[in-house]
Amino acid sequence: MEALIVLSIVLPLILGAIIVFAKNDILTSLLTWMMLPVMSILAFMIYAADLPIYVDTPHVLHWIITLFDFGLLAYFLYLGAKRKSMLVSVLSLVQFILLVTVIWVLPESSTANIYVDKLTAMMYLLVAIVGVPIAIYSIKYMDFDEKDKHLFVGLVVAFLGVMNFAVSANNIEWFFAVFETTTLFSVIFIGFRGDKEAVDNSTLALWMNQIGGVAILLALLIMIKDFGVYHFTDLLIIDKETMSMAAFGFLSLAALIKGAQLPFHKWLLGAMVAPTPVSAILHSATMVKIAPFLLLRISPIIEGTLLAKLLILTTGFVFVAAAIFALTQDNLKRILAYSTISLLGLMMLAASVGTPTAVAVSIMLIIFHGFAKGFLFIEAGVLEKVFKIKYLQEMNMLLEKAPLTLLFIFFAFLNMTFIPFGVFVGKWLMIEEASGLLSQGSSVLLIALVAIGGVFLSVLYMKVLGVTIKHHRFTDIQVQKQPKTFLFVAIWFYLWLLALTIFIAPFAGDFVAQISNSLTGETTPIHADGLSLVVGESTLYFWQILGALLLLAFIHIAPLKFKFKNVDQMHPYNCGEVYTRQAGTYDFLFLKKYEGIANMIAITLFMLVVVLGGQLL
Amino acid sequence: MMGLLLTLFSPIIGGFIYGVERVVKARMQSRQGPPVLQPFYDFVKLMQKRPMMVHSFHASMGIMYFISTWFAMAVLMMGNDLLIAIFFHVISVLALTIGAFSVRSSYSIMGAMRELMHVVSYEPVVILLAVSLYLVTGSFDIAKILTSDITPIFSLPLVFISFLGVMPMLLHKSPFDIAEAHQEIVGGPDIEYSGPFYEAVYTARWIEYVYVYFIVFLFGGSNYFLGTFLVVFSFIFINAVDNSTARLDYKKMLKFAWFILIPLSMLNIFFVVVGAN
Repeated sequence: MEALIVLSIVLPLILGAIIVFAKNDILTSLLTWMMLPVMSILAFMIYAADLPIYVDTPHVLHWIITLFDFGLLAYFLYLGAKRKSMLVSVLSLVQFILLVTVIWVLPESSTANIYVDKLTAMMYLLVAIVGVPIAIYSIKYMDFDEKDKHLFVGLVVAFLGVMNFAVSANNIEWFFAVFETTTLFSVIFIGFRGDKEAVDNSTLALWMNQIGGVAILLALLIMIKDFGVYHFTDLLIIDKETMSMAAFGFLSLAALIKGAQLPFHKWLLGAMVAPTPVSAILHSATMVKIAPFLLLRISPIIEGTLLAKLLILTTGFVFVAAAIFALTQDNLKRILAYSTISLLGLMMLAASVGTPTAVAVSIMLIIFHGFAKGFLFIEAGVLEKVFKIKYLQEMNMLLEKAPLTLLFIFFAFLNMTFIPFGVFVGKWLMIEEASGLLSQGSSVLLIALVAIGGVFLSVLYMKVLGVTIKHHRFTDIQVQKQPKTFLFVAIWFYLWLLALTIFIAPFAGDFVAQISNSLTGETTPIHADGLSLVVGESTLYFWQILGALLLLAFIHIAPLKFKFKNVDQMHPYNCGEVYTRQAGTYDFLFLKKYEGIANMIAITLFMLVVVLGGQLL
Repeated sequence: MMGLLLTLFSPIIGGFIYGVERVVKARMQSRQGPPVLQPFYDFVKLMQKRPMMVHSFHASMGIMYFISTWFAMAVLMMGNDLLIAIFFHVISVLALTIGAFSVRSSYSIMGAMRELMHVVSYEPVVILLAVSLYLVTGSFDIAKILTSDITPIFSLPLVFISFLGVMPMLLHKSPFDIAEAHQEIVGGPDIEYSGPFYEAVYTARWIEYVYVYFIVFLFGGSNYFLGTFLVVFSFIFINAVDNSTARLDYKKMLKFAWFILIPLSMLNIFFVVVGAN
């Protein structure tokens, strides 16, 4: 089994390297398509194995990784000098000094450096099922007037390996190395097109994520000083009562930055200048998902502490604020980015709450958000390349231009908010859990945040859907031909989402609940009763799931297929007026002026997390 | 069983409520008003009209609005979780707004957008209502709320008041009939429907009456007499307010919901939580 784990980390790296250096169209396609079954089977086998597994690694690997760390920092330093960015250079130097100190004081440890439990295996599955199709998609995408196709696809493939490594690292020094590697990849991806905007945005992503790196190194130092251990599994067995939280304060800070929480959300927004598969892969299965993953790892430790409460406050605030600001945007990719930031807030909030149900919520959201967001970005890329549509205004009459794409976008948006889809179930469970906590006399604010944020997201999605369907005559809709690769990936996501939704009860009750059990060590009060989902005393009956699914299926397929016969068609009445051709939608621009205030509040909350939550005062 | 019957007959009950409402409103204005059964006469008349539509998608969304509202009603009556029923209501809003967006009519699109503003305004308060009922009775299950020893209204007066504030938004009554706004945008989402399709939208609104007043009824807990009193009281109150106020704009509605109603609910929840400790 150890071999399989190593293979699922190393294989994408090797294949990526082959793709980059071979520069052969057939080989690129072949290897990437091959990844799909291979990675999926590997992930399934690992998930089905007797977990958790500790993988011992040779000592020399430790030195290689440390060397790699220094190489990476040297490269960042070089980038800082080349791009004349003071911040990048200074942060690289700070990291350099901290890293030297860490290595100086690092005690010997016999704990395995790679640790694969159910959560990690779940992330493997997510990477295989969501990440690999995006790599396949990017092969075709790069054929549309983009340069360096092979380099790009190779990097995407290799990045999946890095992600697999990131979620298996037990040694926090290694985790730092992979954390910085993901930063490196995101910098390369964001700056891929090489124009000024791309380079600027990648520099922004670099220094923001470097702050995360500094935070991890500080956490590592404090950890070694306070506890003398630096492995996740070693930290989990320390007696919680006497633990100091300083190290975890910094780790949470790194998570918040990786998760693009306000005010560090700009790097994720900046990622939209890159080719669309980059957004798809960063938002769905990789990169930002490290943030809730990291919090889930430490959630048993921080549960119930002041740090967890402050994290709840911060992420809950971001959940609401990002959803509100998403309403003001008019670029589809930006809207999607804001909604990712918002939902990441909810994921991290759930992870910080740390009760079994909340942890299950976090996992549910990671999975379903991964699927739905990957799907949405893929369709955004199709719109951009095939139909040349980027902005919301251009999406008017989308049905006539791109009926099939509209169908997919519609479905993915439904997945993001409506009953009975996974994200909804997560939201619903979170409200139930928050109510439960409330009746024990805590978390009054939690319930307000959870209740409010979701509403904005629902309205946001309905607004976007409305815009896409506006101004139609609904005559002669022709389904245009799309490249087969795009179609395959879209149908792949569609079917997975559909299947997971129909079987949401067994999925949540068995799969997710088991992961949550193994993380919290308690029994999660979620189980499946046939195909009905039972949570504590509440039940989401199968007839409700099926009913909602049928209603929504009709609503999202009707624009394409449904025709009344024998009913006369008339022009719109419109109160007898001539139709003005354009009816706008509210763009909520007045909300933009509050963005500064929101950032200030977010900065304050960040400070509070580190200073008060980490007990530095 | 009771739930099934209530669900099945909810269009008829709702139509009846609407009929009574028109009479009550007329009497408040010293008018005679139409007969109580007028909504049903309208129903028969509209069904006999020649069916006309702008396009199939729009017409089908009118019918979907009706079906999904009815389904939400079924979930409210026969499910065991108030929260789920509340989220089902959003599906019907989706059908209505998507349909309204789809026609080439400025009034309809404006109405759809305003409908979304309604959702932003009332949804958090309604969710907080469900949470506070859970807090007091210990369950989201409607059957348990209706049999619990505690009478929710005594512990949740502020939540009840904020729900009274939200009801005009849910039922499209003045001062918050912003989405419909007959004198202004001629019915908003409804404008392009006619004949049987309009009837579907019309009937869906009746079901919403039952839906909303049933939530009011929950505040009585196991004391059904009190519950009925609350329903009657809120019915008269809403109509009195509807008769005596002018329409506000959507920003005022948002501010009212966000800076008055939500804090009121939160305050109540806070007091309940503190009191329980």
